[in-house]
Amino acid sequence: MSGGGGQEEQHLPSVSSASGSAAGTAGGRATPEMKRSAVRSLIQRYFYQLQSGCGNAHCTNANCASSGKVAPMTPNEVAARALQLFSQDAQLCEVSTSAASSPQDVDMLSPNDSSSSSSGSSTSTITSASTTTTTSRQSQSTPAAVVVAVSSLDPVQSVPHLDLGAVEPSSGDSEPCTPTLPTVQSLDANSLMALYEQCVTARCYDRICHAIGDVFSSVDRLSKSFIRSAEPAASSSLQELLANPPEALNKEQLRTLEGEHDKDEDSTQQVEEQAETEEVAASASAGAEVETEAEPEEEDEDVPMAQPTEAKAEEDPSESSDTQVDLPGLRRVQRLFFGSRTRAINDSLISSVIQLAEWVQYMRPDWEKVIHCLVICFDLATNTDNTVVDMDYLDRVLPKLCQAAAAMPVQAQARLTRIWAAHCSDQLQALVAAFQQQITVQVLQDEESMRENGSIISATKVLKIVFYANILASELERPSCRVPLEDRTEAAATSASGSATVEDDLFDYSSVLHPHMPKFAEDQLEKALKVSAIDCRKPLVPLEEFYNEALSENIQMHHDYLSYKALESEKGSGHTNYFSFMLYGFILTPATKVDALYYDSRMRMYSERYTSLYSILNNFGQEGPDGTPRPDLKLTVRRDQLINDALIGLEMVAISNPKDLKKQLVVEFVGEQGIDEGGVSKEFFQLIVEEIFNPAFGMFIQQEETNNMWFNATPFENGAQFTLIGIIIGLAIYNNVILAVNFPMVVYRKLMGYCGTFADLNDWSPTLYKSLKSMLDYQGQDMEEVFDQTFKISYSNVFGEMVEHELVPNGKEVLVGQHNKLLFVNLYSDFLLNTNIQQQFNAFRKGFEMVTDESPLKLLFRPEEIEMLVCGSREFDFVELELSTEYEGGYTDETQIIQDFWSIVHAMPNESKRKLLEFTTGSARVPVGGLKCLRLLITRHGPDSDRLPTSHTCFNVLLLPEYSNREKLEERLMKAINYSKGFGML
Amino acid sequence: MTAPRRLRKELSDLQENTLKAFRDIKADDDNLLRWTGLIVPDNPPYNKGAFRIEINFPAEYPFKPPKINFKTRIYHPNIDEKGQVCLPIISTENWKPATRTDQVVQALVDLINDPEPEHPLRAELAEEFLKDRKKFVKNAEDYTKKHSEKRPAD
Repeated sequence: MSGGGGQEEQHLPSVSSASGSAAGTAGGRATPEMKRSAVRSLIQRYFYQLQSGCGNAHCTNANCASSGKVAPMTPNEVAARALQLFSQDAQLCEVSTSAASSPQDVDMLSPNDSSSSSSGSSTSTITSASTTTTTSRQSQSTPAAVVVAVSSLDPVQSVPHLDLGAVEPSSGDSEPCTPTLPTVQSLDANSLMALYEQCVTARCYDRICHAIGDVFSSVDRLSKSFIRSAEPAASSSLQELLANPPEALNKEQLRTLEGEHDKDEDSTQQVEEQAETEEVAASASAGAEVETEAEPEEEDEDVPMAQPTEAKAEEDPSESSDTQVDLPGLRRVQRLFFGSRTRAINDSLISSVIQLAEWVQYMRPDWEKVIHCLVICFDLATNTDNTVVDMDYLDRVLPKLCQAAAAMPVQAQARLTRIWAAHCSDQLQALVAAFQQQITVQVLQDEESMRENGSIISATKVLKIVFYANILASELERPSCRVPLEDRTEAAATSASGSATVEDDLFDYSSVLHPHMPKFAEDQLEKALKVSAIDCRKPLVPLEEFYNEALSENIQMHHDYLSYKALESEKGSGHTNYFSFMLYGFILTPATKVDALYYDSRMRMYSERYTSLYSILNNFGQEGPDGTPRPDLKLTVRRDQLINDALIGLEMVAISNPKDLKKQLVVEFVGEQGIDEGGVSKEFFQLIVEEIFNPAFGMFIQQEETNNMWFNATPFENGAQFTLIGIIIGLAIYNNVILAVNFPMVVYRKLMGYCGTFADLNDWSPTLYKSLKSMLDYQGQDMEEVFDQTFKISYSNVFGEMVEHELVPNGKEVLVGQHNKLLFVNLYSDFLLNTNIQQQFNAFRKGFEMVTDESPLKLLFRPEEIEMLVCGSREFDFVELELSTEYEGGYTDETQIIQDFWSIVHAMPNESKRKLLEFTTGSARVPVGGLKCLRLLITRHGPDSDRLPTSHTCFNVLLLPEYSNREKLEERLMKAINYSKGFGML
Repeated sequence: MTAPRRLRKELSDLQENTLKAFRDIKADDDNLLRWTGLIVPDNPPYNKGAFRIEINFPAEYPFKPPKINFKTRIYHPNIDEKGQVCLPIISTENWKPATRTDQVVQALVDLINDPEPEHPLRAELAEEFLKDRKKFVKNAEDYTKKHSEKRPAD
């Protein structure tokens, strides 16, 4: 409906994002955002005052439409004038209408609001003036304001009788304020649009407002509305087609015309993706079968249990992604609602939906009906092309809708997730943006108590629904990496060779199947949907878009962590008053999640410390060298025997009392004075990692193609060594140290308990991945001939010898063809990434778990984020470092030597920057969140002298004597960073 | 002796149906992943001799491409002094597991016969090839006579 002309003015009111409510709080402590939104809302008030008036018939304000002194203007002129009035600080009328929480309400002409009928004339004038949208009928209505005013006083007469099936007379429970009109029981897109046309012709919108008010305020009535119908849609769409210019016809409408009602879910995705989505969505039951078996939590259940579960799953309505909502029709209606900018309609809609949402929240009615309503109402909040979104609707209705949706039981939420995934995948981006804006605005208005803010919490909960809908709507990886391969290939004709072998266990530690996921923190929605972020390699909406910066910055993680601990102590005992964003990790930026992990580690370290103090009495625990239990984990190592000393030290702890690994690590180099407040252990990790990953050490091999480190499948060392290395990686995370390790991503996925799959080969060996992919893509029936490949594969071991392996028993006799190529690729990947290094990896992971099993690592981080956690991110932004650096001891950022320092540093080659970083912080890697998170401190270290610069790596402090000139500074600095290993006085 | 099945098949195929321009194909006795053979070009200036090459197949063949090395020295813009050759068909970006060794060899023979001075490994030869073709042909012929192997009789 909205043609070219309409686009411009639609942008105008969209400045209203923060709207009136922001103005109220913008008084005292104002952030720039708040000031901006306050200004914005003031300008808006001028805009609406000029356009619609204050509603007071006796108004004398020359700049208020109600006074009749405002000359007719185009919306653009109105906006310009509003700006002008704002800069002049002109008079603003008091808003006279009821329920005027925001100034836009002045022109409200809803049937529920009888007081506004007096302002009817001006409203209509302005509305139609702003409605310079395309259709000729609308523009004709512009000059006829007076007529409308008269007719609006007498709605019954003015509304021409129309035999609309949907508008049925009802038996008497009509709206109190418009007793003359019968209650509208339901609406559909065509009747609503026809009604709208009538109203436009009649220049009176009472009747449509009435209809909207009736239907949108009632779950019962709205759930009977906008039902997708099979046949009549075609004919009406045909009319639509004839009436509309060709470009207005979108794909959904085309598909509706073709009668493919199930395929209207997505107009922007590519065809393959769509097919994929449909397959997943439509055959939810088929997928569920596989997943039901796959679901790790259910592995313990008896096999016979699986059958009834599956049968039930097919009947369970929450498994369905079906919706009766006529989304294409609804979107036409939406364009009409928001495109026309008839305030009366919008206001009627808004107040009705708010009423509905509140009712839902308190009455908890039939959820299937509510879902129908929510699909409609949320859909109105977003739009594919993002041009026709009513900001007012977003600001006022969305919070209420979120509260309603968040109040739904998990099964209903799962149902909504499935519907969104199947039918609204093109809207997900807009939904994310809408909720993010919602949350951000709320956070900025309520920094102090944002953790208790109900609007933020409910928006976060609904964002989670979108998060999972986004996963479901994306291409899911099948077979899933969460499933052991034996299960994955069970359906296939050939059975995989059993691979699990029992290894002798040196350490007293039973491996947990799913690490780091405290039972109480399991996501019920994720469970109901049987899908998680790990299943999807390329999400439709990038998962980074779910981070909310404002929230993450203001959350004060230690408070949130306390809520998390409170939840933990309740152990998910039903209803709780606590809410922790840690259970909504998708919304937190990695840097904030690192904070959470840090608090968790520290808490555990302190608790271990107290435990060991008690254990002195009981004579338990680790015996220190002088016979007393230590409150920390102390490693004493010799520089030249670093690996041996470290491994033996850790092995003793791991065997005798693995819990001691959770104490704070304290490293001492024999014969050195450094006291470990973090810096010494940082260097320890740095050195030990260098040695462990040295190919000469024989535990890891460097992959030629990618320079990644991979487990040596034929190592000289036993499994215990890999366990110790796992402990070291775990300790690095636990003690907040960044390591220079270069693992392929699949290692982090495996550490989180998943299997390596074909998709992981892409980053493991791109050539191999591409070759296997081209094999999968090969469509000819002569595959056996062309590839002549059997289920026997070969690879070269660490000595360069060729080793052969049969992927299935007697694999050398089985040729790869069209029917089994997928199985071949999956088995091949599984062999390389899992089976071949299983023993080594399991030992490695066990060590990792010994340190991190209780931490919320898995809860908070995705594998990609874990990699960042271990390795830091990879770019150096020294400008950022400079901006965040602080000074002490007499230096400021204006001191000559500081200015020289930075100009020297910025001119350094990358390698020297890396060394400087290592010198001052003990690690050459950038921490998560960038260099600004280092909080470098440069301290004046006395006047000019010959001393070298020194550092406290644990606190990231650089001690810089005030050298007499730039040349000396440069010379001393370079010397220091090039001879930086070892702790001692330089 | 083990080798990927397809490799063995390709070897016997090539040995049975000899290409005119690629003769004397042998695999190492102790390593079927290393082949040698004789390239016999048609076009001047290389038609005065034959060139021994070595093909090294990775254990993962055909999922990773083979590598080719010239054992005979050759005066050619696309082959460097160490005998390394840059052949797009076996680069990791372009490699397809359905590509067979005879296609790779054919691509190599084509490259020998018709140098591609736009993508040279030896820039000075490429320049000579473009700027002074006569001199290039003369040099290449002399070089071929001096270093190359005898062409097989038939």
